[in-house]
Amino acid sequence: MSSEPVRTHAIDMSAIAQKNQPNKGMNETSIQIQNLNLFYGEKQALHGINMEIPKKQVTAYIGPSGCGKSTLLRCINRMNDLVDSARIEGKINIEGKDIYQPGVDVAELRRHVGMVFQKPNPFPKSIYENVAYGLRIQGINDRRILDEAVEKSLRGAAIWDEVKDRLQDNALGISGGQQQRLVIARAIAIEPTILLLDEPSSALDPISSLKIEELINELKETYTIVIVTHNMQQAARVSDFTAFMYMGDLIEFGDTNTIFTNPEKKQTEDYITGRYG
Amino acid sequence: MTVSKLQISETYQKWRKIKDQLTRYAVVAGGLGVIVAIVLIFFYLMYVVYPLFIAADAHALYEYELPEKAAGKSLYLTTEEQNEVAVRFTDQGKAVFFATETGKILKIQSVIPEDVKITSFSVGTQSRGNVAYGLSNGNVIIARHKYQITYPDDKRLITPQLKFPLGEQALQIDPQGQAITHVAFRVNDSGTTVVAITADNRVLLTNFFKEDSLFSDDASFERVNVEIDVNAKDIKYILLDKEQRNLYLASSTGRLSMFDVSDKERPLLIQHTELLNIKDTLTSLVFLTGELSLLAGDSTGLVSQWSAVRNVSNHISLQKLRTFKVSDYAVVGIDAEQRRKGFVTVDAKGVVGIYHSTAERELLKAHVTSVQPKLLAMSPRANVFLLEDAQEMIHIWHVENEHPEVSIKSIWQEVWYESYPKPDYIWQSSSSSNDFEPKYSLTPLVFGTLKAAFYAMMIAVPLAIMGAIYTAYFMSSGMRRVVKPSIEIMEALPTVILGFLAGLWLAPFVEENLMAVFSILLTLPVAVLLFAYLWQYIPKDIRLKVPEGTEALVLIPVIFLATYFAMSVSGSLEAMMFNGDLIRWFNTEWGIGYDQRNSLVVGIAMGFAVIPTIFSITEDAIFSVPKHLTVGSLALGATPWQTMTKVVLLTASPGIFSAVMIGLGRAVGETMIVLMATGNTPVMDLSVFQGMRTLSANIAVEMPESEVDSTHYRVLFLAALVLFSFTFIFNTLAEIVRQRLREKYSSL
Repeated sequence: MSSEPVRTHAIDMSAIAQKNQPNKGMNETSIQIQNLNLFYGEKQALHGINMEIPKKQVTAYIGPSGCGKSTLLRCINRMNDLVDSARIEGKINIEGKDIYQPGVDVAELRRHVGMVFQKPNPFPKSIYENVAYGLRIQGINDRRILDEAVEKSLRGAAIWDEVKDRLQDNALGISGGQQQRLVIARAIAIEPTILLLDEPSSALDPISSLKIEELINELKETYTIVIVTHNMQQAARVSDFTAFMYMGDLIEFGDTNTIFTNPEKKQTEDYITGRYG
Repeated sequence: MTVSKLQISETYQKWRKIKDQLTRYAVVAGGLGVIVAIVLIFFYLMYVVYPLFIAADAHALYEYELPEKAAGKSLYLTTEEQNEVAVRFTDQGKAVFFATETGKILKIQSVIPEDVKITSFSVGTQSRGNVAYGLSNGNVIIARHKYQITYPDDKRLITPQLKFPLGEQALQIDPQGQAITHVAFRVNDSGTTVVAITADNRVLLTNFFKEDSLFSDDASFERVNVEIDVNAKDIKYILLDKEQRNLYLASSTGRLSMFDVSDKERPLLIQHTELLNIKDTLTSLVFLTGELSLLAGDSTGLVSQWSAVRNVSNHISLQKLRTFKVSDYAVVGIDAEQRRKGFVTVDAKGVVGIYHSTAERELLKAHVTSVQPKLLAMSPRANVFLLEDAQEMIHIWHVENEHPEVSIKSIWQEVWYESYPKPDYIWQSSSSSNDFEPKYSLTPLVFGTLKAAFYAMMIAVPLAIMGAIYTAYFMSSGMRRVVKPSIEIMEALPTVILGFLAGLWLAPFVEENLMAVFSILLTLPVAVLLFAYLWQYIPKDIRLKVPEGTEALVLIPVIFLATYFAMSVSGSLEAMMFNGDLIRWFNTEWGIGYDQRNSLVVGIAMGFAVIPTIFSITEDAIFSVPKHLTVGSLALGATPWQTMTKVVLLTASPGIFSAVMIGLGRAVGETMIVLMATGNTPVMDLSVFQGMRTLSANIAVEMPESEVDSTHYRVLFLAALVLFSFTFIFNTLAEIVRQRLREKYSSL
């Protein structure tokens, strides 16, 4: 794509200490999860998760259904707050700040941590208004700024050429794959630093799915991406790091190549080779 | 291929298919049944209403030569109630009764003494059957034609009679014995007034009143004589109304003088008016039934209706209410119907027209004779008219004219009714007397309906929608499970109870505590908002004891406190700002009157009835907004409020819209509450302190007292049809908009 979003970071990343965990080639840490426990009522869904997610890399969560990978993803932008019975212990630091501290503005946090869901969820508005939505809720209504941001985001999500002639059409009228890229455009329009993708292509056909994967590859130049996927080939194709989770435990986290070719844990190997899951 | 081990019975398969088919037919039949029922209701209403708008019909019945020509020329022609016996009074002072059907003579009786000449003739109020002859010796004799009905051999026999209500002796009117050239008179229980013009152009007013003797059965007549000071030279028409209050004298040029003769000793000139354009000739001047207005026919074929009207400064003047273009030729005769505000005219070419004054309708035009017509008479029941022409032929026609009183104009537009200062929208359907002019304007009722619905919606829409938003979106699910059914159960409350409470408890309460009601309206929102603001400063350990989503519970004591506060300060506030009486203050400062049963009360009561409908549908609509949209918006950094306003309400808008429309439809059709909580006064006043009468309440109030198939009955059905169309339009509109919106959001 011709115009890549230009990013500036307000928070100095160098202050964050490098931890041991996944090793080689790691530059900076974007998200630091410390000893995270999550309970749905009495039932514990996550058990003492510790991991450091590197900046501007793609990190994939894999694991069988119900292993807690989506739950973990939703902790990063506090979407679990919406679940009445959810209770969280532990810390998640994003760029050095504990997002579960009292006084954190959740709306502001979510502006920095964008999220794309399994099912495309465009609003029943025009394509243009969908992309502009995030800006409008920040109080930006200047037509020029909006026009520019909409185009930039749609280009960024590799959908501009397909919709540029019908920006005022209802977003519900485009195909599922286009909708999903539109939703990504909507997420990047507000210039987040982190993108959480919750099985972004599981509801799409193979071609749309492939396009999303290409897009992820492009986006990681700008964003820290965390993706949850059921599809191990996809994880292998798009991610730099992979975390394997099982029954609410983080079993193994490391370089994608290592995880897929030479996992340390037996459970990981069993899952990857399709013995369960 | 291996055959499946499952033995699927063929009969079962067939049975399954039959069940499926049967269900399909049942569903289709049910749906069609509903549509057919609605269409049938619609057509039934149309069927009842339709006769209101059809024109009259007439056809010739009989035609024969004038019976007993030897008795003289006809001065007046009429029939009795059953149209079996007709009578003509002749210029020889004879009453000739004859069978209407054949012209066979039944009875001839002389009215006047042998030795005098007839110089004038006049008819009293037609339904009373009185006529008067003015005689050459200055006397007047009043006779009454009466019909006795007996049933010998079970057959109706009508025997005509001639009576003399003031005695067979002629009354002396002019002490000077001059011939009476014009006469008018009215007889009623309290007395008789005769107005006569003598050959030497004096206008004499004589009032006779009965003086019962204490000692014998004889009654003697006391009399008052006055001479009215007016130039009587050109006067051709004199009319005196049945109340013996107004006297009209008109010349053939259309110059009319109106006198107030209620004080018989001091007749008072009210005004002179020109009824016609210059050069036109007045050819006929008669009273419309009720004798409150005059019909003036002229030589150009116009008939104008005039009525004495009292203006704002209590000054009476004669006003032209409306004009009918009856013909291109001169109007030869006019006769008013005796029980309705209709009349029949005949022009110089023998064309008879039937009209209705209030509705301004021309109901019929029929060419009856090619000979110059002479006398026209409508029967008491307005179902037969008689026309005598210059060749002394009598034409008798049957008239089918059931519902002349209604026209599109009289229903929807301003109508100038008799004695009203100006054209107005009035609903006043019936009174005890035949003289009454029914006023069938549906406009005030439609206005009342919309007004009641408007005030109800003012109360219901904000409360219901806001409540639904909170319940669906912010309330904890546990509390929602209690709140939603509770509000929905309000809908099961019979509206008659709401109406009863509104009329008998709320209306007096509001009247007594108007200031408090207003204070509450003001204090409550302020108190709630203030409390919500202060809530965040309450120490956390107290605040956290209230689970998220149940904060509304904390508001309950706040609402009670605010209400109590408003109630307790309202008294002193009212004393301070409004001289201690808000209602009087409104009246004196703004000229706003206060009705105890007013729109405010209706708004509250009916709003209460409509809230559950709107709340329930809105709540469902908001609650069913897909979670992934809310989550998507929140994930973009929107606050819950932004998500609510920009995504949830937008997506729920079809549901909210139809909720409001269904609520509106309900408010428009609601009957019991408006029936009991309004004064049912059909006034057109937007004021919140005034009552109204709605279409539905009007039907409920008047249907039991209306005669089946009467005009009133059919007009009530017309009101029902209008109401039906209203709700039909509202609901259809709601459905169309909802469908369109739903289409827009269909792929959610």
